[in-house]
Amino acid sequence: MLSPERRPSVAERRPHFLSFSSQNGCPLVVPHLAGIEDPLPESTPDKVDVLIVGTGMVESVLAAALSWQGSNVLHIDKNDHYGDTSATMTVDQTKKWVKEVNDGKFSNCYTNAKLYVSAIIGSGDRGFSSRDFGLDLAPKILFAKSDLLSILVKSRVHQYLEFQSLSSFHTYENDSFEKLTNTKQEIFTNQNLPLMTKRNLMKFIKFVLNWEEQPDVWESYAERPICEMLIEKFKLERPQVFELMFSIGLCYNMSAKTPEVLQRIRRYLSSFDVYGPFAVLYSKYGGPGELSQGFCRSAAVGGATYKLNESLASFDPSTKTATFEDGSKVTVSEKLVISPTQAPKYSQNIPEQKYEIHRLTCVVGKSCEEWFSEGESAAVVVFPPGSLKSGNQNVVQAFILGPGSEVCPQETSVWYLSTTEQGPRAEMDLDAALEAMETSIVRESSSDLENDESIVQFGPNGETMINSVKLGQSFKEYIPRERLQFLLKLYYTQYTSTPPFSVVDPSFFDINDENSKKLITGASDNGVLYTAMPSAEISYDEVVTAAKLLYEKIVGSDDDFFDLDFGDDDDVPIHNANYENAIEDDDDDEDNDVDMNFDVNRQGTTELVGEMEI
Amino acid sequence: MFQFKLVLLGDSSVGKSSIVHRFVKDSFDDFRESTIGAAFLSQTIKIRDTSSDSTEDTVIKFEIWDTAGQERYKSLAPMYYRNANAALVVYDITQQDSLSKAQNWVNELKNKVGDEDLIICLLGNKLDLCDSSDNGDKRAVMTDEAKVYAEEQDLLFYEVSAKTGQGVKDVFQSIGEKLYQIKKEEMLSKKGRQAASAKDSVNVKLQRPSTNDPTSCCY
Repeated sequence: MLSPERRPSVAERRPHFLSFSSQNGCPLVVPHLAGIEDPLPESTPDKVDVLIVGTGMVESVLAAALSWQGSNVLHIDKNDHYGDTSATMTVDQTKKWVKEVNDGKFSNCYTNAKLYVSAIIGSGDRGFSSRDFGLDLAPKILFAKSDLLSILVKSRVHQYLEFQSLSSFHTYENDSFEKLTNTKQEIFTNQNLPLMTKRNLMKFIKFVLNWEEQPDVWESYAERPICEMLIEKFKLERPQVFELMFSIGLCYNMSAKTPEVLQRIRRYLSSFDVYGPFAVLYSKYGGPGELSQGFCRSAAVGGATYKLNESLASFDPSTKTATFEDGSKVTVSEKLVISPTQAPKYSQNIPEQKYEIHRLTCVVGKSCEEWFSEGESAAVVVFPPGSLKSGNQNVVQAFILGPGSEVCPQETSVWYLSTTEQGPRAEMDLDAALEAMETSIVRESSSDLENDESIVQFGPNGETMINSVKLGQSFKEYIPRERLQFLLKLYYTQYTSTPPFSVVDPSFFDINDENSKKLITGASDNGVLYTAMPSAEISYDEVVTAAKLLYEKIVGSDDDFFDLDFGDDDDVPIHNANYENAIEDDDDDEDNDVDMNFDVNRQGTTELVGEMEI
Repeated sequence: MFQFKLVLLGDSSVGKSSIVHRFVKDSFDDFRESTIGAAFLSQTIKIRDTSSDSTEDTVIKFEIWDTAGQERYKSLAPMYYRNANAALVVYDITQQDSLSKAQNWVNELKNKVGDEDLIICLLGNKLDLCDSSDNGDKRAVMTDEAKVYAEEQDLLFYEVSAKTGQGVKDVFQSIGEKLYQIKKEEMLSKKGRQAASAKDSVNVKLQRPSTNDPTSCCY
């Protein structure tokens, strides 16, 4: 429960740090950075406001939010690395993790891990080392207009990270990859689209940008799959319906309900053009594992204490005492928040993880730039229901990262495949998708094809248009002469309490509330607050919602969630940007840099609509 | 202007942060640009290029990453070390075992950062507690001992006092000069193969969304 005496927020604490600032009359604005400026306590604190166990994405965002709000946070992880369920791991760490899964160490959360690692990795000379790879346990993409992105900017955690754009979304259909037509220009210049279809598509895009205000259009479809509305109301055809639902909307199956899909389609469209001609970003060197590290560092700067290699043994809600495996104890005055993967021995309150997510992660010996847009190093490939040999009923999503993302060396790439299909079918779907990708990349990168005009389309000026190559139909019988080299293959089942399409439900955090008096005798985890396992969602969208709910449970309200003002003007775009040219003074760099002046109050959606007009 | 990432390392309570604070908040009145956010501290210095005829100074901006206490339980993240150009490994010259702990940090650093261009500076702090006539000499680590080690390992080496400011400015100045030399050589050798780097993926800066300028967003 919220204590009546609120801890001071960052803004309230400011006068304190202003006091030491000016020795020479210059009004320095220096925020008080507890983690940097205060002397460190000599030993582990014996009393904290909040103890957080596990350094996954949600826990890390929560730790940063709490420590900037003024709470005294102890944040531990039983592993020797950051990230927990969102970790970015080296090959050696992955091996260790697989062993732990198969030893039943996280039976509620992960099962059935299978790993193949080629001898090339770790073989010393001419091979790759374990550290050359950063493999995400729960890979994610970041929408340009999203809660997490604004928190990354507000908290300045983005300054610890590097982001790149992702504009290539492919839908797999009829044994070939169709690139998403996601801009006005592409819709109009795409010669394969009949005029009528273009018109209908534009009509739908205009509608979806403020669909909530037009209930007359969609209300009668509210409880029905959206494809019915798209076909009946907007006269769209199957390829467009699939593109909208599965590439743009990133839905999992045909039964997706209308409002939730509209929401997801709009998410993509309103993110488009915020930073440039793309809707999605990803972080370099690794996904949520990197972001977690960034938020943990931010929390540490705000004063949180960090301790890896530490695990919780038990919590006693009556004395509010947490005991660690090494015997040390800490009193937790507010709450203990814990990831289900780090639950203590003799836990009996871990929430049920009902839903399976099947994941297949591969490192292949090709950079796969055929799938990327120019200047990018990533792509998303979506396999809609029924598109695979296995007769898949649920979508398989694949997220591909090339060497430019720095998660793998030159001439390799990482493929993350996942599906929400339940049970043994899931692995068959993943295998079928993998096979389709393998066949496709082998023939697209094969040099034999370059001189065959029948299958390569040429642009108006005679340049080869690699991305629009339609190989499928004519090359169904093509047998790859070249085989793809797999450097690593990891298969596992992850469990979550969050059903597909949902984000974590507020009631989820009431399950084990200490005030419910529903204490189980002998359980080591009475009264602890469990976080949710990552959902199947490929974007970060659930993270802020979950962290905010937890924050509200601890602080009493989410009003000052990341209510940060560092007091200097670093947030304001610097004109003339010396910063960009700082590292390299090369003239060429400027032209490439995706960064332009920005009008903060720009209303993205309406302008986008305006722009859509012919 | 050039920008470099500099990381601090060393055990707790050797005075890592004080050294940086001395550097950032002190004495550079003629060129003051110390923006301090939650992310890292930054400070600029000027370098005079003696080999060129130019009378203009080059500005070097340090982006200084403090451990924020995460070194305490060996909980520094890989992110901390990534792409560091220079590292200050700090020890306390009044503590007997302090140098050997610093040596562990040097090993850790060489382990974590593959880059051969990384400049490591070994730094003995609390010089104000030594050689002082009234208070008695509290020195526990001999200068020569550290110096020999630094030479073996090819490290820069200084003894400083964060408290009085003695030597602090020189440390950053000499690191800055060394980084500038490396950068210059790199750029000269790079000129010929600039085309290759044009293919690299471009980073997006999150604090700067684009305008809706049709010429900038559509190809």
